[in-house]
Amino acid sequence: MLRMNNLSKVYRTHMIETHALRGFEIHVNQGEFVTVTGPSGSGKTSFLNIAGLLEEFTSGEFILDGVNVKGLDDTARSRLRNEKLGFIFQGFNLIPDLNLFDNVDVPLRYRGFNARERKERIEDALAKVGLASRMKHYPAELSGGQQQRVAIARALAGRPKLLLADEPTGNLDTQMARGVMELLEEINAAGTTILMVTHDPELAVRTHRNVHIIDGQVSDLVRRAPSLLDADAGVTA
Amino acid sequence: MFGYYFMLGVRSLRRNPFLTALMVLTLAIGVAASVSTLTILHVMSGDPIPSKSARLFVPQFDNGQLDEYSPGAEPDDMQMSYPDAANLLRSGQGERRTAMYNIQLPVEPTRKDLPAFNAAGLAATRDFFAMFDVPFRHGQVWSEADDARGADVIVLGHAMAEKLFGQTNPVGQRLVLTGHPYTVVGVIGPWGPLPRYYKLIGASRFGQGEDFLIPFASAIGHEVPHAGSMSCSGKRDSGYAALLGSECTWIQFWFETRSQAERADLQAFIDTYASEQRKLGRLKRAAPNRLYDVMEWLEKLKVVANDSKLSAWLAFGFLALCLINTIGLLLAKFSVRATEVGIRRALGASRADIFRQFMIETGVIGLTGGVLGLALAFCALALIGMQSKGMATIAHMDWKMLVVTFAISVASALLAGFLPTWRACQVTPAIQLKSQ
Repeated sequence: MLRMNNLSKVYRTHMIETHALRGFEIHVNQGEFVTVTGPSGSGKTSFLNIAGLLEEFTSGEFILDGVNVKGLDDTARSRLRNEKLGFIFQGFNLIPDLNLFDNVDVPLRYRGFNARERKERIEDALAKVGLASRMKHYPAELSGGQQQRVAIARALAGRPKLLLADEPTGNLDTQMARGVMELLEEINAAGTTILMVTHDPELAVRTHRNVHIIDGQVSDLVRRAPSLLDADAGVTA
Repeated sequence: MFGYYFMLGVRSLRRNPFLTALMVLTLAIGVAASVSTLTILHVMSGDPIPSKSARLFVPQFDNGQLDEYSPGAEPDDMQMSYPDAANLLRSGQGERRTAMYNIQLPVEPTRKDLPAFNAAGLAATRDFFAMFDVPFRHGQVWSEADDARGADVIVLGHAMAEKLFGQTNPVGQRLVLTGHPYTVVGVIGPWGPLPRYYKLIGASRFGQGEDFLIPFASAIGHEVPHAGSMSCSGKRDSGYAALLGSECTWIQFWFETRSQAERADLQAFIDTYASEQRKLGRLKRAAPNRLYDVMEWLEKLKVVANDSKLSAWLAFGFLALCLINTIGLLLAKFSVRATEVGIRRALGASRADIFRQFMIETGVIGLTGGVLGLALAFCALALIGMQSKGMATIAHMDWKMLVVTFAISVASALLAGFLPTWRACQVTPAIQLKSQ
């Protein structure tokens, strides 16, 4: 599903160079639920941004669902992002002046679906997260947990192959966080690959494996579901 | 996607309502200022008879004396002397030709309840009506025979016809002008080209049509004085007969040719005519003889005053200032939407998608500004029209200017929106999304 080989990311200013990722190697299989952990500044966010095609990398190779993304222009990257990826953010990132229906509609608009298909997908996605009855509500009228569910519905509506979650429970209380995590597990069980950055060790232990990043490199690997990993599909550091 | 972006644009008006209102108002004021001055300029400088403006010609000779003449100087006289007008009428040149002069006469209605009043009209030959596409509501133009014998017949403007005879058809009725009974042969329908190109001298250039018209020969026969400007060089005897024989210029003359190509033939004719007249001791100055078509004539007589052009430039300068202001406001409005841009980019929008969305949103602001600008422009034109009767005639908006108003407004908004939109497209989604 996702493969990065000897990937590096360097931020340059006129004074200094910062190596966010160096010699980064990772391979995520279709259907996996992988957590990414590491201390602040370790390169987790850079990795997730590159994986989400939100940032370009400096060197190396990145294959996303069989597509080598190096050299793709903005339009091609945007199309790939829209068709294959779904995003869930710590801050939910809903558009405040759009109701739930219209928020979930956003990625589908860029996909070019007709009105009937968009409506079906939106209603289906909101039903999956238990918010079908509130589709005319605005984000401000919902709790944090509900807003994160809307964000998940938005990510699911496009039926992505890879769901990228950046601390999706970071802004939620324990009960809401548990609910969101259970929802992600259900989504993964249905076949969607999930890559989740988290600081929460309790969440990390619930996934198939945990990738620990330090100083821009994968430093540790915890395997919990060997059935999902064969020798070729493992993570090397 | 246009409909989606348009809908987002309409919703966006409600976001930051104060900022939106400021932008719309700024744009509207700039648009209103430029459109109202442009409207006046448009009316002043427009082609009043596009179908034949290149086939209607004013001939110009120089009837001045030799003293105070610099060889090669352009003719001073904008009108024509009676001898020249009479000669050119008889010349048969062009498809049609007409001589005219302004008259102002007391009218004695046959109705007892209506007191006598003064009316401004025109003494012209019958070709006038065909040359200037004058429509008739009742009756028709007088005959060639009426022209030839100077018959006392009259064509009324529709306003004067209603004043004298109400809604009835007055053809065949009589009224008395300067003691002479005139028979009504026709009533003009709504007509009033702007500017009043056919008689730019000695009357308001932006007046509406004519109260009445009588045959040129009838007016001359009754020694009806002209009511306009006259230019005389040298001495002349007093009396109407002396005026007719003098080199004073007081008659306006027009030729109509069958085609634009006949202009050269007409020019050759007036050159030959002037040369012959010089041999007879007239037209002593060797000034060039000129022909002006309608648009050249408007330019020659500076119908569009430099003040009007300057006003338009100033108004567009003001619009530019409004645009600079709008750019600042749009930058503020779009900068607070960096997160939305980041979200949309993450969900699959390309930079081109964001560009289209924001430009269409800007276009919606432009349309809204156009609606308000139009309302303000109507108010501005109403205020301008209150200055004088002439201004009231020209200070009105036609459908072309309505379209121009929206075009200016939307184009201005898009121009102002280009930089803020471009900057919005440069948003780095990763930074915006993490910062929330």
